[in-house]
Amino acid sequence: MSRCRTPVKMAVVAALGAVLALTARTAIVDAATDARPIVEEAQKRGRSTSQRYEGLLQVFEGSGKPLEKRWMYSRLGSHGQSKVVIRFTEPAEVRGVALLIVNHPDRASDQWMWTPALERDRRIALQDRSTRFFGTDFSFEDLEERDVDQFDYTLVGEEAVDGAACWTIQSVPKQTRSSQYTRSINWIRKDNYAWARIDSYVNNDVVRRLEFHDIRNVQGVWTARETAMTDLRRGSITRLALEKMEYNAPLKDSEFTLEALRQR
Amino acid sequence: MRLLRLVSWPYLRRHLLRTVLTTAGIVLGVAVFVAMHTANQSVLAGFGQTIDRIAGKTELQITAGEAGFGEEVLEQVQGLSSVRVAVPVIEAVVESGLAGQGTLLVLGIDMTGDRSLRAYDLASGDEAVVKDPLVFLAQPDSIIVSSELAERTGTKVGARLPLRTSEGEKPFVVRGIMKPAGLATAFGGSLAIMDVYAAQKMFGRGRTFDRIDLAVAPGATVDACQRQLATLLGPGFEVQTPVTRGRHAQTMLEGYAVMVRISSAFALFIGMFIIYSSFAIAVTERRAEIGILRALGATTGQIRRVFLVESLVLGALGSVVGVGLGVLGARATAAVIGKLAGDLYGVAQQAGDVATDPVVLGLALLAGVVTSVLGAVFPARSAARVDPVEALHKGRFQLISARENRTRAILSAIAAASSAACLASSARPVFYAGYALAIASAVLVVPLVSLLLARAIRPVLRAVRPVEGALAADSLIQAPRRTSATVLALMLSVAMVVAFAGMARASYASIVTWLDTTMNPDLFVMPSPRLDLRATRFPSSMSPEIAALPGVERVQMFRNARLTLRGVPAMAVGIEMRSVAITSRTTPIAGRAPAMYREAAEGRGLIVSDTLAQRLRLGLGDGLTIQAPYGTIQLPVVGVIVDYTDQQGAVFLDRDVFTKYWRDDSVSDFRVFVKDGTRIADLRRRILERYAGTRQIFVLTSEESRAYVLKLANEWFGLMDVQVAVAVLVALLGIVNALTVSITDRRRELGTLQAVGALRGQVRRAIWLEAIAVAALGLVLGCALGAVNLFYVLDIVQRDVAGLRLDYQYPVTTVLALAPAIFGAAFAAALWPAESALRMPLVESLEYE
Repeated sequence: MSRCRTPVKMAVVAALGAVLALTARTAIVDAATDARPIVEEAQKRGRSTSQRYEGLLQVFEGSGKPLEKRWMYSRLGSHGQSKVVIRFTEPAEVRGVALLIVNHPDRASDQWMWTPALERDRRIALQDRSTRFFGTDFSFEDLEERDVDQFDYTLVGEEAVDGAACWTIQSVPKQTRSSQYTRSINWIRKDNYAWARIDSYVNNDVVRRLEFHDIRNVQGVWTARETAMTDLRRGSITRLALEKMEYNAPLKDSEFTLEALRQR
Repeated sequence: MRLLRLVSWPYLRRHLLRTVLTTAGIVLGVAVFVAMHTANQSVLAGFGQTIDRIAGKTELQITAGEAGFGEEVLEQVQGLSSVRVAVPVIEAVVESGLAGQGTLLVLGIDMTGDRSLRAYDLASGDEAVVKDPLVFLAQPDSIIVSSELAERTGTKVGARLPLRTSEGEKPFVVRGIMKPAGLATAFGGSLAIMDVYAAQKMFGRGRTFDRIDLAVAPGATVDACQRQLATLLGPGFEVQTPVTRGRHAQTMLEGYAVMVRISSAFALFIGMFIIYSSFAIAVTERRAEIGILRALGATTGQIRRVFLVESLVLGALGSVVGVGLGVLGARATAAVIGKLAGDLYGVAQQAGDVATDPVVLGLALLAGVVTSVLGAVFPARSAARVDPVEALHKGRFQLISARENRTRAILSAIAAASSAACLASSARPVFYAGYALAIASAVLVVPLVSLLLARAIRPVLRAVRPVEGALAADSLIQAPRRTSATVLALMLSVAMVVAFAGMARASYASIVTWLDTTMNPDLFVMPSPRLDLRATRFPSSMSPEIAALPGVERVQMFRNARLTLRGVPAMAVGIEMRSVAITSRTTPIAGRAPAMYREAAEGRGLIVSDTLAQRLRLGLGDGLTIQAPYGTIQLPVVGVIVDYTDQQGAVFLDRDVFTKYWRDDSVSDFRVFVKDGTRIADLRRRILERYAGTRQIFVLTSEESRAYVLKLANEWFGLMDVQVAVAVLVALLGIVNALTVSITDRRRELGTLQAVGALRGQVRRAIWLEAIAVAALGLVLGCALGAVNLFYVLDIVQRDVAGLRLDYQYPVTTVLALAPAIFGAAFAAALWPAESALRMPLVESLEYE
């Protein structure tokens, strides 16, 4: 489990709604020589006090019909001190199932799941972070808030993604952080500091690729409206589309408790 | 080798039938040995495989007896830095609602973390659903089944499989079918997987888990993690590797294995006497041949080797065939033992394939050969000593000299005295040595006693048929060596029957007393029709509901769960002591009935079953420590009672004590007493109606539960019966063999009889009478040895097998029933030899020799 000290949200997308848009700030960073300030700036621009959206997640595996799930996402707080509720709305088999995630600045998040058919909640212990997140191509580790201090960054070059110029930055987990990945390559757009792509490696092989599409400014936060995670070993892809996006919504702390999870 | 080819081969070929019969003794002995041991090992291997396959990559398992423990323990364990992953498990052996499918092992797991420990290789299924743990978690009716189960039941993905739960029979949706490997093959393939929290609900487990499986963190060692967990959780929990846990459970079957070893040894022992008998006869028949060989220069060593090699070859052949037959028979036997293991010991397993252990097969081959060679040692020695002159005097060799008889009698007396002396020691090896000496004493004295008995029954036989009776009796008297070997085999068989029948009879009597005095409620309300299945439990809230029904006098909550006491498995039973004090009519073996229940009810004492008292050497006032999940119970024993709730023994606590230390108030079953004037059938109907459609309940009457318990006892003893039957069969083979030889041996005599005018009917009847006389001798001596054998077997059952203190009751009715069977079988065995004797051409008979 990660034990974050100064967590900064980075590329946390998809299922937990960690798709972060980055604010279109004009701060100038001398990124050409130092990668770390670029990452810090990118994460800083994604901050908001709360977030709400409706998500559509599609898992494409083989040639069959994609598996679809819809959910309502709410987040209160940010950057290591947030609480998140995900409530599944479709398909019928999972309707009403809800997740409560409480992120901590100094340790891994606590997670609970409410199962209406059993009328009980359960704690989810994310011990093996390489486990797939409920059948998607994301692993639990991919959804964690990451502490910028737990990685070493190196600027490896520049490359355009979807026509937008990007910095290419390698992040390597420090020895204090356990990870299924050996390293990652991050593409961060120069124009708005939004993430455009992340390739995660195990040794010299890319095993997962996260791509950000349809990046728009939503209430001052540059947000990818569509992301796609590809598991290159399995050959499957998970797409996440965000709808009805809203930042800094008036959410109450009482909505992010186990009691609230059980009542809905 | 040349002698073997020139002498043995023609003889064996000429007497093919007798050779086959002789070998059959070894075949059967080895077959029983292999079948029982292989079956036993298959069951143990099945159990080991079930543990192993279920364990997957699990490095440590945490248990707290069968009762389980609260969910908060999981969080404690997961919080340890040395633990990489820890997942909860519920294991439930439940009945499927499908006819003929019996029980399934349902494994309740938490899919969110469990895939780190176990591989759920799916063969088919709606991939999107099966691979989506969210649906699996969201729908409590989701299960994944093994491919074997799917094939047997014709189940496909999406189909519904009915399972009996605490809420009634419920259809479960098959979300996936596992490939026929690894985990899917556990429990003989009768495996289903469901969500652990759904399993809690379906099987009335409240918020408890049976077990936590875990893997240690990188950099941490299993030993260090084990120590850390032991410190964290305290003595009420066991932290073991899966292998250790498997071994621990296997010890529960050890008692049964002892019985298997004893009966197998008996079967081989009997086979040895068949060999002895046959070779003794062969030596007699071939004396002239041996004399000629000796005259031509063959040494005594060469003659001895001829017979020993002959027996070695026959033993090897018989052993090979016996091993083959044993392996074939092991499959059926394994199914029976597997069921018994589940019923009696609560060991969740099913034997999959027959596990043939090369060591067992090798041992069987060796035992068969050695037995055969041992059986031939004395005849071979006798053959080597044949005097060429004496060889011409037919018949003399069958006599046993007075000196030999005297030596045998002295040795027998020494063995008997030594056997009696061994009883003074409490050491088990000495006891078993005494047992062996008692048998040896009987074996040594058989020729002398056979001779005396044969002489004694001569007048009786003459009274029955003057001519034929005299002929039959004289045949026995003149050939005591031949007679005694057959009598010996029969004696051992009958002794074995007497011992097992006596044990069964005593057990029955004891069980019936227990049923009458303790298991005396009018109705038993249970979550399963089987008393032995403890997977599903009731909430205690049902107690007042049942009590409120019209006609209910009293309701008692009964809760049992397996645990470990002083390293041995036992059953903890939580009962309402005050209420049981009123209804129980049992007379304690130690302690006083009103006081002991009162003390136990006040939480000041424990009551233990006699079985447990025997196994742990507990007496009144002795302290017993129970490491429960939520504290250590240290109380004195205030009473010892006869109880068969569990074959391993039981400790009875007041229900409040159980609830406090296990934090579990669920109920295994309710025991209902009916008010005077209320019809039991009416109350049963009312209880069933009360829970119709809401809860799965089975209401058994006192008679039905009684019948169930006795059925289990029958299954246990039924397996013994099979071995006894084989032993008797081996002995009867001996009679056929001996009679066949006897007739061949007396061809001239029988021919002369016919030549001087004896009628064919007279000859026939003489042979029949001879067979019946041999049976009578074997029966009488067997009954006598059986009395001794029963004493030893009861002691073994008490001290080494089941801890049952059984009264010595000689099984008179069994012996009375056995007698006609033995006589009938002996008569049947004599039919063919008799007709064979009559078919011999008279001239040829007279020319014999």
